[in-house]
Amino acid sequence: MAEQHIPQHALERLKGLRSQGHPGGIFTSDFSVNEFLLVRKAGFEPIGLCVGSCIYHLGFQFAGWGSNVELEQLSLAMYEARALAMERMRLEAQNMGADGIVGVRLTVKRLEWDSKVLEFVAIGTGITHAKGHQGFKGPNGQPFTSALSGQDFWTLLSAGYRPLEMVMGSCVYHVARRGPFATLGSVGQNVELSNFSLALYEAREIAMERMQVEASKAGAEGVVGADLHEGSHNWSSHVIEFFAIGTAVLPIEGHEADDIPDPKLVLSVNS
Amino acid sequence: MPWSSRNAPSQSAEAQARDRDWEAALQQGRLPDPVLERLADARAGRTPWVATMTPAELLTIRSHGCRPIATVAGTCWYNFGWSWTEGHAEGWAYALDRIRQEAYAAGANAVVDVQMRTIRHQIGSSMDFTLLGTAIRVEALPPSTDPVIATVPALEFVQLLEMGIVPTGIAVGARYEWLGGYGNNWGNNWAGQTTQWQTGVFAGNQPLTELGTFWESIRRDAHADLRRHAATMGNGVLAHTHFGQIIKRERDKQPPAYLGRHIVIGTVVDTPFGADVPHGIEPVIDMRDDATLSAARGHRHNVYSGELGEGEGAI
Repeated sequence: MAEQHIPQHALERLKGLRSQGHPGGIFTSDFSVNEFLLVRKAGFEPIGLCVGSCIYHLGFQFAGWGSNVELEQLSLAMYEARALAMERMRLEAQNMGADGIVGVRLTVKRLEWDSKVLEFVAIGTGITHAKGHQGFKGPNGQPFTSALSGQDFWTLLSAGYRPLEMVMGSCVYHVARRGPFATLGSVGQNVELSNFSLALYEAREIAMERMQVEASKAGAEGVVGADLHEGSHNWSSHVIEFFAIGTAVLPIEGHEADDIPDPKLVLSVNS
Repeated sequence: MPWSSRNAPSQSAEAQARDRDWEAALQQGRLPDPVLERLADARAGRTPWVATMTPAELLTIRSHGCRPIATVAGTCWYNFGWSWTEGHAEGWAYALDRIRQEAYAAGANAVVDVQMRTIRHQIGSSMDFTLLGTAIRVEALPPSTDPVIATVPALEFVQLLEMGIVPTGIAVGARYEWLGGYGNNWGNNWAGQTTQWQTGVFAGNQPLTELGTFWESIRRDAHADLRRHAATMGNGVLAHTHFGQIIKRERDKQPPAYLGRHIVIGTVVDTPFGADVPHGIEPVIDMRDDATLSAARGHRHNVYSGELGEGEGAI
């Protein structure tokens, strides 16, 4: 009685029979079970893991001891390395005929043997529309990229948006050191260190703005899941990187806000 | 008998016989008789079943016409001789083969909740590869000639079956390669020189082209290995994890050599392209505090962790 829930081909496989030939070949993905099911529910199929990496050597840049200034060379390097990794990942996706890549994780790893060498890796799962719908491609007919998990992907589509492209902006900034007189002057006082405040404002604004410019170039309406990372990749203490990243999205034509069901409030009792 | 071993435990004749049995079985790639007997008893229901399942999981598999039979395992303690990297693929392949044999002997259709385990004892350059899981029977079906090995717990196993997805095994891909020296594809002694220049003291911002291409080729080979291995069991790999490392070795009067190694492991599934997902999905908002977005993202509003807040005298 109960087994009728289980599709025939699954029963065959449980008997020990192999299904003969899958025309699509083997797909690989780092999806969890639930991510896989939700991507399927959204009408897509995973076709392969896409990876792009870039091992990058960072040059040296000097900044004046007391100057609040962007280290443009380093900003450029940090951006270029990530962009290269992303581009290589996208190329892999294109070669396997993917409509897009979801669940992209962009990581930076320091290699043990050289503090100036960083490894940038972009990993995500290439997916294709199960019925061949072409309307989901990214800018210029290239595969879209998105940092959203399988769950978030389903939810974004239900919200009436589709992902276009991961957008990012980087700004490596040198925060000015304070001179001895300035330091002396603030001893024993509760006072704002305004040049430090300024530096954080400036660096953050630059990173966010660069991300936003990318989004408008991609023709997006907005950016979801935007996040701002502050990092200092083994640089001297006054050098920080602000890195903004998010997924640029575009509304799906013909999707109305009224189509979205109201979420139900529940209280789970099993955890 | 030397005095030191006078009080040491000695093996009984029975235990020695068991050891010999195991030795012979491992060499011939079969299971020893005592294990076959134990599994035959479990299969016939002469002994109580043993399962790693929770009651909730038991409920779900019972409602889908399955029952647990026995806990089954496969172990291989493997010594890394010529390659640490490829030893991993070999070790897991042996363990996988052995757990499948046990499942077959138990008359199972599947092993669920299969866990990959290792006890990290450093004995020379070796490591144990162990798989442990619960063998189950689908009551309406005959025992399988080739039981599937599912790394998912029973609950997810049933959920996946309903969606037309059969988790069938574990696939491993592993590759290593030297850049410079040690004769191989990336060959001659002076390979690695470009990388040496590119990371030199006066080198500016630039992608390391040689090392990058080398690293990419290892990864691609490892993934191709993974797909080849997976193709013997199903048509997809999910939940895969990976391990990668580039090691630099300095050499005398020559550019340094680089060792790259990459291991990928994943759960193999068998599923038709575009299979239907019969369950509806409803957006809900869970009212538990630990299920909220702010909880999932960590303590976003707590900047007073660590030295900032706890220092004496901070007001």
